[in-house]
Amino acid sequence: MNLLLFGNPNCGKSTLFNLLTGMRQKVGNFPGVTVDKKTGLVAVGGQSISLTDYPGTYSIYPKSSEEKVVFDALNELNQQQQPTVGLVVVDASNLDRGLFLFSQLADLKIPLVLIVNMIDLSDRNGITIDHQSLSKELSCTPVVFMNARVGLGKNRLLQAIEEQIKNQSAENHFSVNEHILAIEDLTQQENDALLRSAKAKELCKKVVTKKNETTQSKRRIDQWLTHPVLGYVIFSLVLIIIFQAVFTLSAIPMDYIEQGLQWVSQQIAQSLPEGAVQDLLCGGIIPGITGVLVFIPQIALLFFFIALLEDSGYLSRAVFLMDRLVRPFGMNGRSVVPLLSSMACAIPGIMATRGIPNSKERLITLFVAPLMSCSARIPVYTLLISVVIPEKQIAGIMQLQGLVLFALYALGIIVALMIAWLLKQFLKQEGQSIYLMEIPDFKPPHWRNIFTTIFDKIKVFVLEAGGIILALSIVIWALSNYGPSQERENALQQLKSEKQYRIATEEDRQLLESAVLLEHSYLGKFGKTLEPAIAPLGYDWKIGIAIGSSFLAREVFVGTLSTLYAHHEEAGEFSLREKLKNETYPDGRKKFTLASGISLMVFYVFALQCLSTLAVSRRETGSWRIPLLQLSLYGVLAYGMSLLCYQLF
Amino acid sequence: MNLSEIPKQRSVKILEITQPFLRTKLMEMGVVPGVEITLTLKAPFRGPIAFAYGNTQISIRFEDAAFIKVNPLAS
Repeated sequence: MNLLLFGNPNCGKSTLFNLLTGMRQKVGNFPGVTVDKKTGLVAVGGQSISLTDYPGTYSIYPKSSEEKVVFDALNELNQQQQPTVGLVVVDASNLDRGLFLFSQLADLKIPLVLIVNMIDLSDRNGITIDHQSLSKELSCTPVVFMNARVGLGKNRLLQAIEEQIKNQSAENHFSVNEHILAIEDLTQQENDALLRSAKAKELCKKVVTKKNETTQSKRRIDQWLTHPVLGYVIFSLVLIIIFQAVFTLSAIPMDYIEQGLQWVSQQIAQSLPEGAVQDLLCGGIIPGITGVLVFIPQIALLFFFIALLEDSGYLSRAVFLMDRLVRPFGMNGRSVVPLLSSMACAIPGIMATRGIPNSKERLITLFVAPLMSCSARIPVYTLLISVVIPEKQIAGIMQLQGLVLFALYALGIIVALMIAWLLKQFLKQEGQSIYLMEIPDFKPPHWRNIFTTIFDKIKVFVLEAGGIILALSIVIWALSNYGPSQERENALQQLKSEKQYRIATEEDRQLLESAVLLEHSYLGKFGKTLEPAIAPLGYDWKIGIAIGSSFLAREVFVGTLSTLYAHHEEAGEFSLREKLKNETYPDGRKKFTLASGISLMVFYVFALQCLSTLAVSRRETGSWRIPLLQLSLYGVLAYGMSLLCYQLF
Repeated sequence: MNLSEIPKQRSVKILEITQPFLRTKLMEMGVVPGVEITLTLKAPFRGPIAFAYGNTQISIRFEDAAFIKVNPLAS
């Protein structure tokens, strides 16, 4: 037994889905496309029946990739042996639009239950629907009036579903009218649409009574929200709040997650004997798990705000306002929030591109999102700026160091827009597509919907991207912790014979040892082999190792450099800075000059130095093609731009 | 006249939609020639426009609005 949930966009379909299934739901993708597929279990008359939520659609004839999912599902119904009941949700305030879709599904001969939802809002709009006469008009279909937000009508709905199931099992399995689904020609679809919409409107005339027009007053607020000046001011404020929250507020739980797992790691270190297992657990696996879990606060916060904006109805006003500004770059008004949140972290940003309806605009947004300077780049930027950029005032008010930091952010944004523009020229649009969006009435946000969204996003991230992140971080950890054992032994022996080592304290000795061990690890050898390739950018092998290890997360760059320079963490960043400033090549040239410093910063602006981003990009595009393209294109770009900078300065 | 030329708060009657894809899509939403709509919102710099039909507002891009031929109603 299967239940399928259909309805127009903005008819409260997800609210109903959450009401019926509670937390018993699964999220995945529909086959072949990256459109959320939600399934859950509903308790009907003592048994659990699976319910699938289909994307909102106006018609069974698809006009977008989301609507295509519904069309494909309908086409497959005949092959299914399972009995099926369709639940069609319609917005009571826009009954004719809902009845249009309903009539298409009814003509396909699918057994249906009609749910007239959001009757509280239609009441407020002065609309009354006569339940009896509507039921009479649709004789074979049970009609249920609901307000899914508060759960009103839930029991009646469950009863109606139960009845419809009973009716069905008595008869033979229905077969979908394939003739109707076969209409591909637009003109034919139009003729069909004209007839259906006339019929739906006629039916509405019979059952709907309108009292008064109150629409004008409630739309006054829209005039302000989309005002040419005030509209942008309000949206900027909203963005600043979101950005601040994802950026700052998330730091607190992130610290707790890191400390908590560190504590676990210490416990394991104490209880397990020293050796390979302990190393793997404490060095590879637990930091890897930390690397996954640490993103949860940012994901939760961003999707809290997005769901809040979406559920209340504000988001569509913002999209309306922003669309014109990002359109020249092949993006959509919907791209703005994902791009901006990528400046805190690209992970939730890329996940948020799922809301962009047009597949080409979505791909472009997702593709350029990693160029937004995220918070993990800040430790790298600030360390390098403090090493190579002098503390100088410009024009009496501006700090040169601050200006450079700003320039790095601006560089990322400008190049992102340029690449987006290029992609717009070269990417083909699959099929016809149109920007058409409903601007729904404002509603108070529904907390269950919001928290379900957050929960789903976290689950998807941990389950579908977490594994890849964990596996790759263990690989990088292994590469930096193991090496040819003879060579490592020799290097340690040599270190111990040096005077510098003999006069050092016990603590310093350990630091020197780990520096030597990292140098002679596989990653270290890799860095050294790479040196000729990165020398033209102004980097030595130590920087090469730091870049390699920072694939885990960009901020690891700083940590690796402090290991390589046998630097006391307790001594703070100041002394690391001094060490880097004084670092020289054998011939006496300084390693960190203005040229190599800027080259390195520019490298970090462009390079996709983040395996979590790759994993999420794979999950959101459904294959490795796009993430590998991003990795190589941004790698080449980083190399080229850094080379240019090093040669220029 | 085109819908893109109509000022805000003006009600119009749709005569014809000249772009087939847009026409079919709007028809499926009940916006067929003959219905009356009110232009409610216009984004700056020739950004999207929105019109009220029934109890919702529908927004489309400025360029697409030019495909919708309308007859202004006396205000």
